[in-house]
Amino acid sequence: MKKIYIIAGVLILLGIGLLISAAGDMSTYSTFREAARIEAKVKVVGKLAKDREMYYNPTEDPNYFSFYVSDNEGEVRKVILRGAKPQDFELSEQIVVTGKMDGGDFLASELLMKCPSKYKDEEVFLQKES
Amino acid sequence: MQELQYFGEHLWPGRVGHFSIILSFVAALLAAFAYGRHSRNSDATTGWLKLGRWSFLLHSAATLVTIATLFYIMLSRYYEYQYAWAHVSDDLPFAYIFSAFWEDQPGSFLLWAFWHVVLGIILMRTAREWEGPVLVVMSLLQAFIMSMLLGLYLLPDSDAIKIGFNPFLLLRDTMDAPIFANADYLQLITGKGLNPLLQNYWNTIHPPTLFLGFASVSVPFAFTMAALAKREYKAWIKPVLPWALFSASILGIGILMGSAWAYEALSFGGYWAWDPVENMSLVPWIVLVAGIHTNLIAKSTGHSIRSTMVFYAIALLLVLFSTFLTRSGVLQDSSVHAFTELGLEWQLVLFILVFSGWFLWIYLRRYRDIPVKEEEEPTSSREFWMFIGSLVLFFSALLITFTTAIPVYNKLADGLGWLTGQDLTGWHRSMPVDPITHYNRYQFWIAVFIAVLSGGTIFLRYGRSLASGAVRALLTRMGLHVILAMVMTTLTWWWLDYAGWVYHVLVLASWFSVISNLDYLLFFLKGRLKQGASTLSHVGFGLMIIGIVASGLKKEHISYNRFAMEGLLSRDMIDRNVLLFKNSPLFIKGYEVTYLSDTLIGHTRTYAIDYIQRDEEGRVIDEFTVQPSILFDREFKKQAASNPSTKRYFTKDVFSHIAGLPNEQADVERAKVKEDSLRYLLYSVLPDSVRSAGRLSISLQNWSDQAVHPDYTPEKGDQVIAARLQIRSEDLDSTLTCMPMIVLRDNLVYSYPVKVDRVGAKVRLTDAVFSGFLMPDDSLYYRPVELGAGDSFDFGGYTITLDGFDKSPQHVQFESEEGDIAVAANLLIQTHSAAGYRETQSPIFLVRGNQPYNIKSYSPATGIHTRFVKLNPENGKVTIWVAQQPDFEGLTFEVADNYEREDYIVLETILFPLINLFWLGGLLLMLGLGLAAWNKRYRKNELS
Repeated sequence: MKKIYIIAGVLILLGIGLLISAAGDMSTYSTFREAARIEAKVKVVGKLAKDREMYYNPTEDPNYFSFYVSDNEGEVRKVILRGAKPQDFELSEQIVVTGKMDGGDFLASELLMKCPSKYKDEEVFLQKES
Repeated sequence: MQELQYFGEHLWPGRVGHFSIILSFVAALLAAFAYGRHSRNSDATTGWLKLGRWSFLLHSAATLVTIATLFYIMLSRYYEYQYAWAHVSDDLPFAYIFSAFWEDQPGSFLLWAFWHVVLGIILMRTAREWEGPVLVVMSLLQAFIMSMLLGLYLLPDSDAIKIGFNPFLLLRDTMDAPIFANADYLQLITGKGLNPLLQNYWNTIHPPTLFLGFASVSVPFAFTMAALAKREYKAWIKPVLPWALFSASILGIGILMGSAWAYEALSFGGYWAWDPVENMSLVPWIVLVAGIHTNLIAKSTGHSIRSTMVFYAIALLLVLFSTFLTRSGVLQDSSVHAFTELGLEWQLVLFILVFSGWFLWIYLRRYRDIPVKEEEEPTSSREFWMFIGSLVLFFSALLITFTTAIPVYNKLADGLGWLTGQDLTGWHRSMPVDPITHYNRYQFWIAVFIAVLSGGTIFLRYGRSLASGAVRALLTRMGLHVILAMVMTTLTWWWLDYAGWVYHVLVLASWFSVISNLDYLLFFLKGRLKQGASTLSHVGFGLMIIGIVASGLKKEHISYNRFAMEGLLSRDMIDRNVLLFKNSPLFIKGYEVTYLSDTLIGHTRTYAIDYIQRDEEGRVIDEFTVQPSILFDREFKKQAASNPSTKRYFTKDVFSHIAGLPNEQADVERAKVKEDSLRYLLYSVLPDSVRSAGRLSISLQNWSDQAVHPDYTPEKGDQVIAARLQIRSEDLDSTLTCMPMIVLRDNLVYSYPVKVDRVGAKVRLTDAVFSGFLMPDDSLYYRPVELGAGDSFDFGGYTITLDGFDKSPQHVQFESEEGDIAVAANLLIQTHSAAGYRETQSPIFLVRGNQPYNIKSYSPATGIHTRFVKLNPENGKVTIWVAQQPDFEGLTFEVADNYEREDYIVLETILFPLINLFWLGGLLLMLGLGLAAWNKRYRKNELS
């Protein structure tokens, strides 16, 4: 048996170990109910509740932005982002927030939003115009 | 439906373009076939070789025509084409047409194809005996890429099976809108233009470099396939090496450019975020570098031929996988910069399956054929440790890919669920909650490993163990390196003040690599870079890692108010943004920042922000101004992009970006809502008195008929009134001055209000100020006065003095004509108090065609009307008529004091220490690869 095979074998075992441990980092998309139960940092997918208030007043606190998200189970919660309001936030369709529940609110440290493709709204625009 | 005859459309470029796509596709297939026949039996079939060459050249020409046509459509702004309409606009500068070209999938496929064409032609001229099989691979790759643009439907009258997305589609064919019922619709539409985020010079140079990198990964793969096909397992090792080195160098530079773009122009606040799209460009590079190392082993010792083949193949397959991930829409939940979906998923999957299947099939069939050296690598030989290093690199790539591909597993679960009829969405997994920590945790130890190996292995020799005497010498030398590295690590630690022993390990390993490689370059190679290109890359790698530790670990948001935050929150909860009012300095960590000014040029508003650093005695030790900007969209309705600005030092960067604007400035609709919510109240103020308006006290300083407002563009015949008002407020220790203005133009009134942000008020003049001008003379009681120059008299609380005459008077209502005799009397009107209010009126006396006329003067501040009616030649005096407007209460104006101030920005400032080490190291790394490629390039005399 060549030494290099032994070392390669060890490395492969090590690699598999690392992969298994890396898989432990993967998370599932959660819901507000789940987040309240496990009290840990989770990702929640949902939609922006456009009929509810979106609040950002920098003169009061430039690091406080709140809005409401309806998660995949339809539960609507207030989400507080410690940060500035992102650009084009109103346009977002789907939202992924990372954070944890704090009382009845969801305290988000990160936010990813999915905006509609620009083709769609232009189509609407064209139809309105003519 | 009746066929409409449209006006003004240019249909020929679309036909030429689509035809050239099909031609390019067919010619690529033909080239692959002909080259393939030639490769099977190269001696007897020069006819096939000729056909292969001509087909590839035809394919190249057709590809270039496709690119030129698409470019022509965009350049000519033929908005009847969807691609032009969606990506350019009339006002898009020429330089950004390139960016617009590859903004979307078809353009970037063409960019990729373009580089394949260039590389293919170079290979045709230089690859000699490898030309046939290498070009088979290149042509097939091209056929697949061009098929993405075919836009053909397999089944008639159904769009169920579509091959490719044709970029030459007409807008009216891609969407169904009522506007297309108009035959002249082209008059009504205009292009949408390029996404403002992409209007940046980085987006002009980054994609071509990256795609040259991607395209050049195909060449080592093509050589691998050629070697397997020809069963020549040794002859390919030398010619493939410079190609692999070139590819790694260019791809690496492309990736670095991408991170420079992200750092400099986008507001991500960093140069690497472990975003899936970033990862998938890095991973092929890592595997390619692993392949280069085994390739070097194979060249010197004959070991590791199989691994080299596998690595080069995987590098290309990862490029294809990356293409799939970024272009299929699977990443939309997890990446900020994936392309939008075009429905090419199955085609992209087929692309990967065909090439991986092809490689596996031929590799496994030849597996036993590939020579393997019987004798074992000595443990202290260079190849032994280089091979270990390559394996480690490969694992690094594997780990990154494993996590990045999570969305693919979800799709697979969906597929399985569809097959078995179960709902498997419960199997879905998301990206790690904290991706940066996740990736860093694993790549950390890999980096330690690589640094140690690249530092130690360089002193070993190929093919033999060290002699026992040499072991001693080497160990001493390395001991010295370790000691030097420890010194440097201590210095780095002292400089950066980081915590955690693991970082010491990484920094130590990196310095060890830097020092060993420098030592090798300077003392063993005597500085001859020709043999030492690899040391350059290793030094670069070490420096880059130190730069990453410094700028990543000690990256610090300094934009928080240190007085407000002290002792309140833990470090990771410190707020990232501060509110900065115009001209009010604020203390953030280490600096005093002031928002000085902002200027709007075109669609970009640039802000000047001043940073001052003081020592303990308060002396200024450093001062600089940064200019971040906000780009607005074309209609000025919304904020489109925020461009950061960075002050660079040798040892650190201070990165500033505007994280937020007042809602009203970012969005016109919000501004309108706000304007509508203002409560204006009407006030009037007489000279030398103070009017209290809510919490404000307002007095009149003077007024003018000259324009003062920055938004006003004068027109002939405009009658202007601008008042200078002084504002005091209880919570203000100084007096503010503002000048609202109003204009009468063609019987319409235009008001130019002013914002007084400091006191939260908005002030405007109303049309009531014009009432005096429109007042008929018979409602006024004029008092005639005879005056000589310098004479004065009292009138209604004012002293009026004749201050002289003006022989060429100016007045809106006066247009001088030939033969006019016109003269104005300058009347100084002032209150009785010493430093009180004063104004000048200049009524005009005019003789035109022997008829005397006069033009009156009026002040909306004093309500005094004056006329200059007569010259009295007998005593040298003049007659003036003066009247006071009845019931005059002073200058009228309106104040809304519920206006929320909007003279502020939300600022985010980040300190990146030693970030220059990252750039310097990265560049050195790629430069070393490039230099090695150049040194090992094909030379005529060597091959023969």
